[in-house]
Amino acid sequence: MIAHTRLRRLLAGSRLFLILILMMAGLSLLSDRFLTLDNLTNVLWSVCLIGIMCSGAIYAPITGGIDLSVASIAALSGIVLNALMNGAGLNLVLSLAITLGFGLLIGLVNGIVTTRFKVPAFIVTMAAKTYLFGLAMYISKGDQITIMKPRAFLAIGIGKWLGVPFPIYIMAALAVASHILLKHTGFGRRAIAVGANEVAAKLSGVDPDRTRILVYILSAGTAAVAGIVMASLTQQAYAMNAGGYELDVITAIVVGGTSLMGGSGSVAGALTGAVMVGFINNGLNLLNMPASYHPLATGLVILAALILNQGMSLPRTLIRWMARLRPSA
Amino acid sequence: MSISAVRRLILTGLLIAIGAALSFASPAFFTVGNLMTLLQEASQTGIVAVGFTLVLITAGIDMSIGAIIAVTAMLCVNFLYYTHLPAYLFIPVALAGGCAIGWFNGFVITRFKLPEFIVTLATRGLLTGLALIIAVKDADGFVKNVFIEDPLFLRFGGAIGPVYFIIPVFFALAAATQFFLKRTRAGTNVYATGANPAAARLSGINTARTLVGVYMFSGFCAALAAVFLSARMMTAMPEFGIGSEMDVIAAVVIGGTPFTGGVGDIWGTVIGTLFLATIKNGILKLGLSPYIQPIAIGGIIVVVVVVDVWYKGFAEAVAARAARQKRLLDGEGA
Amino acid sequence: MNGMNDDLLLCAGIDKSYNGPQVLSGVDFSLRRGEIHSLVGENGAGKSTLVKILTGVTQRDRGSMVFDGREIPLEHGRTAAQALGIAVIYQELSLIHGMTVAQNIFLTREPLLPGLRLIDRGKMNRMAQELIDRYGFRLRATDVIDGLSIGQRQTVEILKALSGKASLMIMDEPTSSLTAAESAQLFEIIRLLKARGITVLYISHRMEEVYQLSDRVTVLRDGRKVAVLEREQISPAEIIRLMIGRSLTGRESGNRMVRSSGEPVLEVEGLCAEGRLVDITFQVRRGEVLGFGGLVGSGRTELMRTIYGIDPFQAGRIRYLGKPYVPSVARSIAGGYGFVPEERRLQGIMGGLSITGNIGIANLDASSGRFGLVSGGKELDHARQAITLLNVKPADPDIPVGNLSGGNQQKVVVGKWLIRDLKLLIVDEPTVGIDIGAKEEMYQTLRRLADSGVAVIIVSSDLAELTRLSDRILVLRKGRIVREFAEGTVTEEDVLMASSGILQEVPP
Repeated sequence: MIAHTRLRRLLAGSRLFLILILMMAGLSLLSDRFLTLDNLTNVLWSVCLIGIMCSGAIYAPITGGIDLSVASIAALSGIVLNALMNGAGLNLVLSLAITLGFGLLIGLVNGIVTTRFKVPAFIVTMAAKTYLFGLAMYISKGDQITIMKPRAFLAIGIGKWLGVPFPIYIMAALAVASHILLKHTGFGRRAIAVGANEVAAKLSGVDPDRTRILVYILSAGTAAVAGIVMASLTQQAYAMNAGGYELDVITAIVVGGTSLMGGSGSVAGALTGAVMVGFINNGLNLLNMPASYHPLATGLVILAALILNQGMSLPRTLIRWMARLRPSA
Repeated sequence: MSISAVRRLILTGLLIAIGAALSFASPAFFTVGNLMTLLQEASQTGIVAVGFTLVLITAGIDMSIGAIIAVTAMLCVNFLYYTHLPAYLFIPVALAGGCAIGWFNGFVITRFKLPEFIVTLATRGLLTGLALIIAVKDADGFVKNVFIEDPLFLRFGGAIGPVYFIIPVFFALAAATQFFLKRTRAGTNVYATGANPAAARLSGINTARTLVGVYMFSGFCAALAAVFLSARMMTAMPEFGIGSEMDVIAAVVIGGTPFTGGVGDIWGTVIGTLFLATIKNGILKLGLSPYIQPIAIGGIIVVVVVVDVWYKGFAEAVAARAARQKRLLDGEGA
Repeated sequence: MNGMNDDLLLCAGIDKSYNGPQVLSGVDFSLRRGEIHSLVGENGAGKSTLVKILTGVTQRDRGSMVFDGREIPLEHGRTAAQALGIAVIYQELSLIHGMTVAQNIFLTREPLLPGLRLIDRGKMNRMAQELIDRYGFRLRATDVIDGLSIGQRQTVEILKALSGKASLMIMDEPTSSLTAAESAQLFEIIRLLKARGITVLYISHRMEEVYQLSDRVTVLRDGRKVAVLEREQISPAEIIRLMIGRSLTGRESGNRMVRSSGEPVLEVEGLCAEGRLVDITFQVRRGEVLGFGGLVGSGRTELMRTIYGIDPFQAGRIRYLGKPYVPSVARSIAGGYGFVPEERRLQGIMGGLSITGNIGIANLDASSGRFGLVSGGKELDHARQAITLLNVKPADPDIPVGNLSGGNQQKVVVGKWLIRDLKLLIVDEPTVGIDIGAKEEMYQTLRRLADSGVAVIIVSSDLAELTRLSDRILVLRKGRIVREFAEGTVTEEDVLMASSGILQEVPP
């Protein structure tokens, strides 16, 4: 029984790394194509996108909620951006700003409906996922739109600095910012408190509603960024592109040690989880299994991660659950 | 009249109003053919929604229904492809399979006390993969589309006169389930388990057994829907049932069964199902882009839940105030 | 008492301990058939444990129990108790919302149609209505319980027990949520039950009820039976004396009350909150410990929550530090005003977070810098400060608070306020669930706090604690202040009598 939390967290982190190394070893054995530059670059892209989304999406489970709409927001963002840039001919910066703003607005709506109207987060975000997807399909008429211009936009995806592609910098920047936000700001502390014990947090001066609304805005914001980056990378605006990503995002977050019950979270863990998910998807591709196998894999991984997480802190989880079941004071 | 009855009345009124509006707006809507298609679509979702309603009454959720449909459909087709036995022999096996999966869900939820959302989500992933694995594949490893030829089986997808077979089955299932809920002890136990599990247990109800039974029934309904779907499509694809969760949730939510449990009935679900099918059908008949459908569905879910939650808060506040007034009148300070 | 046995229940020498201190020692307890018997005692005297043993929720360690002439084994469990006809009326725990009165009464025992396994609704409603009418209640079997008042729901609970052929009905604080009229109705019901030969075991703190209803009273104190009073011997004052009658320690008979001369920190005038508080007026001054006493349900916690800013109020004025004040949690905290809630586990601590985290969340204003960044170093300092100030063990700021003992958890909750520039601290039940050593530490802490000029308000159901800690005591009863003890000596009995409405004071 490890009493010291810091030590435990360190061990949990290194456990993840170990699994990661094992996965790399296993995959390189299974397929000689794994360790090629080409292949690893592919993995990098999907990890990048998942990682960007995780940076913001991690806050929802921390507060005990969930955001299932991130993938749809990403898809929609690509389409909206294209419509603004190439359809309406607006300049790049303005288009980016509006797209991002739109994403934040969606987050605001999600946040308000779940706090002021007390609708459970998963219903709100699941419904959002549906209507946003519909919206994306409607605007794009279901087409796969190729984006050839403006050059400046495509540079986001292709451009490199010091040999490292821009999207990686974007992911790194967002991840670092999210980590700082979580561990070193009042907002991060408040989000954790709300997830840990909403009543105690409230009595200590935290406004749970305001915190939650900000959380969903954040989640939607990073999803929008991911959508923009994805559009640039794939040079495509396609509503179907983001399908299933929310499952990857949740898997990455859960595997990374964030409990879905709330009260704790690790951005570094989520990133590690993103890499693992990237490996899993990549591995399935290499082994020639069709894309729709990945729900199975991620399902197993979530189950395993949950059981491991639960097993470690089951008594505390139960206590927190019971606290949640009592009517709030 | 109780609140839920009023709500159902309003909903039915809305349904009729929308139906009337659509008939005026589009000549293609109010034809026998279209209405039958509408009812068929409704029944397809509705059968699953009936099982889902029970799960919701116990304050749970089943995210695996779409995957159960996929697996059962694949199982059906595989069976026919490999064995050439008459299909009607297999149907009870399919239904039993749905029950077994449902049992598994219920078991994991009750035994390990894990949240229903997560467990059924994980099951969903597992089953989706399973559906793919058992799919008949061609030489390159891609999934092959196997066609069913068994005429008896295909009857399920067919019609008696203008009425598709699935429609009376749906209504019969709905009626039987409603009857079960309201007229049997086991049905009462389902409500009790959802409304107040602690009190239910104090009264001697085996809540674990009730929950397992409910999830089994949900699996059964999904499997039944799968049978009809494969019969109608004359094939089965692993993608069957994807996205059906949204439709089912929409139907049940519109019908007025809340996620908090303890309340709900099948008639609400039936009306909700019809409402949803009418909206979807109407959108198409009005010539609108089919992508308006998910927008409408998602939007309606949010609006309905918000109104329901708001109303509940409103009603509770009114009741609380009335109770306090009474205490004041009774001469008490507090 | 010989030949024809009219004792329904005979218990002798009941012992019970929960891994540690004896909760019940050598308790003898008996119930006569068809009597209304009250069980009284302070919190912690062992009443609920005795009830749990009777109803089979827990098992006695030692002692004999004979019910209706039958020996009850040690392993006596819940189903056995129900089968014997022992029923407990819970407040609301065992009713199902969304269902009717009849459905609730007959849950799992619904009458079936002959041959079929279907519920015979008509018969169920008829049987329920018969039962209701037999006892003269004004309920309809088809009423949905959601629409019933608490008093009516309680009646349904009673009916449920009656339909299960209960011979002993146990009622635990049944009137705490009822209006006066509903309470009177309940007493009628109880007398009716008695007339029909059903024995009622009544547990309550409210002396006037005990006095009104009981044929006999058993008084428990510190896990022992101290007296069994027959009707003629029952007087509220006597019962209170027996409940408290501690062998007096050096503290003599009570504590001296002192009127403080400091400036008022909080002034409350005419505070009214619908359904909770009526016309509350009081002040608390710098350097004093103001204690609030009263029975459960008298409005103490409600008052604290209202003045801190959690719950709203409809009328009245509040002044904080001399200026008009509209309470809100954020403003309270910013203004140097803290609140330690009643239920530590549910409302006080964030179990998964470390000590640093728990303390930090209320002190973000002190540890934040630019851009909302929080200094981990400052938070650690705060945590260490609190740990040292209150002697938290183990003295490790990283330990999840959920792993600490109750006493240490409470220290953390108090600690987060102590390190601030406090002007006023409200502590609701300072030492519930805490061991003796930690209790003493908490008392010293609060005393020191007051001596340093902070105004301290405490709410406590532990009368010894209340009288010991407070400089002044206000007693609440049914949402009003009914008594102030500001001079002379006050004993636990005084407080309890005032809480029970026995000593009324004419306001000056």
